[in-house]
Amino acid sequence: MSTNPSPPAGSSAAPAPPPPPQKDTFTVLFDGKPVEVPKNMNLIEAARLAGIEIPHFCFHPRLSVVGQCRMCLVEIEGIPKIQAACTTPLKDGLSVKTTTDKVKACRAANMEFLLINHPLDCPICDQAGECTLQDNSFGYGDQLSNYDEAKRQYPTFDRTMIGPHVIADMTRCIQCTRCIRFTHEIAGTGELTFLDRGGRTLVWTHAGQALDNPWSACAADVCPVGALTVREFRFRSRVWYLEKTPSLCPGGNVGCNLSIESKDSVVYRFLPRLNPEVNDYWLCDYGRFMSESLNDRDIHKATVREGTSVSDAIVPLAVERVAREIRATIETTGPSGVFFLGSAHLSNEENFLLRQVADHLACANRDAVVDKVEGGRQCRIKAQKEWVEGDEEAPNHRGAKDMGMSPAAGGYGLDAVLSGKAAPEVIVVADADFSRLANDPQTVAALRKARFLAVAGRNANALTRAADVVLPAASMAEREGTFTNVQGRVQRFQRAFLPKPPIRPVLELVAMLGRMLGYGDGSQTPPGVLEQIATEIPAYSNIRPDELEGGRLLRKGDFIWGGVL
Amino acid sequence: MEPVLTRRVGKPNSHAIDGYLEDGGYASVKKIFSESWTPERVADEVKKAGLRGRGGAGFPTGVKWGFIPKDTKGKPVYLLCNADESEPGTFKDRLLMERDPHQLVEGMILSAYAIKCRTAYIYIRGEFYDGARILDRAIEEAYAKGFLGENILGSGYSLDLYVHRGAGAYICGEETGLIESLEGKRGQPRIKPPFPAVSGVFAAPTIVNNVETLCCVPHIINRGAEWFAKIGRNEKNTGPKLYCISGHVNRPGVYEAAMGLQLKDLIFGEAYARGMRGGKAVKAVIPGGASANMLTAAEIEDCPLDFDGVAAKGSMLGSAAIIVMNEDTCIVDAARNLSKFFSHESCGQCTPCREGTPWLYKVLDRIESGEGRMEDIALLERICNQMANGMTICVFADAAIAPPLSSVLKFRDEYRHHVEHRRCLVGPRAGARAELAAV
Repeated sequence: MSTNPSPPAGSSAAPAPPPPPQKDTFTVLFDGKPVEVPKNMNLIEAARLAGIEIPHFCFHPRLSVVGQCRMCLVEIEGIPKIQAACTTPLKDGLSVKTTTDKVKACRAANMEFLLINHPLDCPICDQAGECTLQDNSFGYGDQLSNYDEAKRQYPTFDRTMIGPHVIADMTRCIQCTRCIRFTHEIAGTGELTFLDRGGRTLVWTHAGQALDNPWSACAADVCPVGALTVREFRFRSRVWYLEKTPSLCPGGNVGCNLSIESKDSVVYRFLPRLNPEVNDYWLCDYGRFMSESLNDRDIHKATVREGTSVSDAIVPLAVERVAREIRATIETTGPSGVFFLGSAHLSNEENFLLRQVADHLACANRDAVVDKVEGGRQCRIKAQKEWVEGDEEAPNHRGAKDMGMSPAAGGYGLDAVLSGKAAPEVIVVADADFSRLANDPQTVAALRKARFLAVAGRNANALTRAADVVLPAASMAEREGTFTNVQGRVQRFQRAFLPKPPIRPVLELVAMLGRMLGYGDGSQTPPGVLEQIATEIPAYSNIRPDELEGGRLLRKGDFIWGGVL
Repeated sequence: MEPVLTRRVGKPNSHAIDGYLEDGGYASVKKIFSESWTPERVADEVKKAGLRGRGGAGFPTGVKWGFIPKDTKGKPVYLLCNADESEPGTFKDRLLMERDPHQLVEGMILSAYAIKCRTAYIYIRGEFYDGARILDRAIEEAYAKGFLGENILGSGYSLDLYVHRGAGAYICGEETGLIESLEGKRGQPRIKPPFPAVSGVFAAPTIVNNVETLCCVPHIINRGAEWFAKIGRNEKNTGPKLYCISGHVNRPGVYEAAMGLQLKDLIFGEAYARGMRGGKAVKAVIPGGASANMLTAAEIEDCPLDFDGVAAKGSMLGSAAIIVMNEDTCIVDAARNLSKFFSHESCGQCTPCREGTPWLYKVLDRIESGEGRMEDIALLERICNQMANGMTICVFADAAIAPPLSSVLKFRDEYRHHVEHRRCLVGPRAGARAELAAV
């Protein structure tokens, strides 16, 4: 809105009317109200721009238009018969009527038809609360049904797993074919199809095939009803108790935008956030089902090892112990005796602050490493226009490097430490799960050669068991920050809930360590650090706010964002 | 009228090419190539003849051909013969294909030439196994004699013709359903526009014509558009027409007559069905296959069987399948039977049709079995009215509501009787429950 051109100043004489610019929009009348809409838009999306809801089931902005649910019927001026909005091409001057008695009657008729064979088992259906059938029934249907016959049943086609993640219940299906079109047009695997015909039509996999592709749970995402549900989320929570928090995929460097759905400090599921440039409406199964891993934790408090005994400590004292060791080393050996290891799992802010602390100590020895994607897993997702390919197992290796988590001039990196070329006295590992290496005995033995080893982490592994100080670090759901994805896009993830004390985000731990070492006052916050990053790292000086916030939260089952994408 | 389309039907070996050539077969093909007709001239002749599609809609064939874009952008043009004859009561195309297949092949050569098509298909319903075999052999013979293949009769024009067997779905008789099926997909009608003439099979311009329509073309070329246009009731309803009559008549079958034959003549005429079996009275007539509205006995007076004549009676000629029901027919049972067919054949993509057709059947079945309620009659009407008229992608739903809706509107008293007395008004089940009640 701020880009509206203001009239040129000082033009007192009545100017000639400017020549009409070449329009790249159509003027469409919705119930008499003219709206400018982009030419390539579907009528249903255009109506949403005008603030008008056209109920629908089978339409999806990224799938082919089939016009078969017949819910989006509208009247078009000049055409006597009622028309499906989704199949009506936009043109200039098109006049659409969405509130006439005829339209209302047709919608009610369709809702009646859809519900006569629907089991109405909402109380035990996972989709309840985010179900298009419920919404449209409430909005456009009649309360009473005149159907008095036996409802259709699909013996052997109900409550059946059709793939590793998706459970199908055909009694709930409304035959919209979104899932079929998803497997054909987006995943390209085409496992699903219509079987039989007429009132016996059902959606199922081809004989002998399973719905097993890297994006299979998206088929459940596009399902407007509870016919396809996700095994991992089934019966775990009513959806209206879940809070949505914009976040990012922790599982790869594509940087898929997702929302964390949580309740009472427990993550229940991930859902994709609409970002046409990155993951569009989709999410791969690998990333989606990492949601569970955010709840994993077995490091609940800080521990300090003295000799052979390990004892609990409060976090500031544990950090102070690390600071003391670093100070002692710098006094005796100098900065070359200290090595900081950042992580591709940590945010730009956390990596940056760690580097700042290292810089403050004039310590050039720092690094961050990443595992490459392997083992047949595909880290790729269909954006609106092309596939985005990732190659790393962690979300932010590129960002960590941009933040300077590489050996500076005269310093050494992880390779030198592991090969024995460098022998730091103190090693600070900011993320216990920085790589698969953290569970590799040889690596841990090499790191353990240091006199003092400090580690922050969530889950115990070989590295934390070997460490002198272990600090409890927050999960991704418990902190905020930014990641830089494979495209160089800097995107923010937000905090879903506070970590349970004494667990702290790595940023706070590093800030505390910095304060003890004389850097800063320990009160740095992620937005503050991001501002500092913007001033100090040229490539990050001009992050676009829309890019930073990334995808838009959508309700599951509602795929139309009321804006121009 | 002397038979035109069926003139060779009674002959022995009428399906072989030798006899066909003896009877002057393929003369029209020889004619257009020896006289160097342009494709436009062939199309023009058909347009002048006033030939209307015999498949059901009655759309002028020449006009349809004219919808092929002038510039096809390098895409080939396809001609498809719709031989998916599955409308209940219709059996005319089967006769034409089995008894005189070369007439169809000849018609397809001419039509393909008219629309500049190099590849044509006959989409035949799967159950017509014999028809498919006979057509296959006819096409083989035509290739051998040089009427098909490269450079037909030295004219420089080439045409390949294939028979494709469907899998027995009524909906594949809908032209876009047929196209989908021919492409190897599920037989589901497409959204129109684009119409097949612009983007049909394999996304190329496509013309779909009925068997009988194509069979008319050689006669138009041989004997002239004027001769063809003179046959029939008026200039909008021209040519010879095959009528399939079935039901309670003395002599059911396929009869050829000029377009516009009186329905009463067809039922009672000596040359045709020779009256009602057992001298019973007519109760209802379906004039155009299962998807046409029923006519009452009163309405069959002065009902010329052509597109406009039947339309004036509030029904349609459709595929000209006349189903005659006598006074002993329970109309509820008849509607139930037809609804069962439609609920079985709906493709299932559009909600109103997928859900509505079985619902109609269930309600009718309930009334027929004596479990009906008075409000069911209004319910039937309501279901019908909310299924059709643009509610669905194709006109299947409009067809499916014809038997229940027209029977409710025209025989409401019989429905009421059924509900009140829990038995049929007439027919074999009429007295059963009354007797039980007496015991």
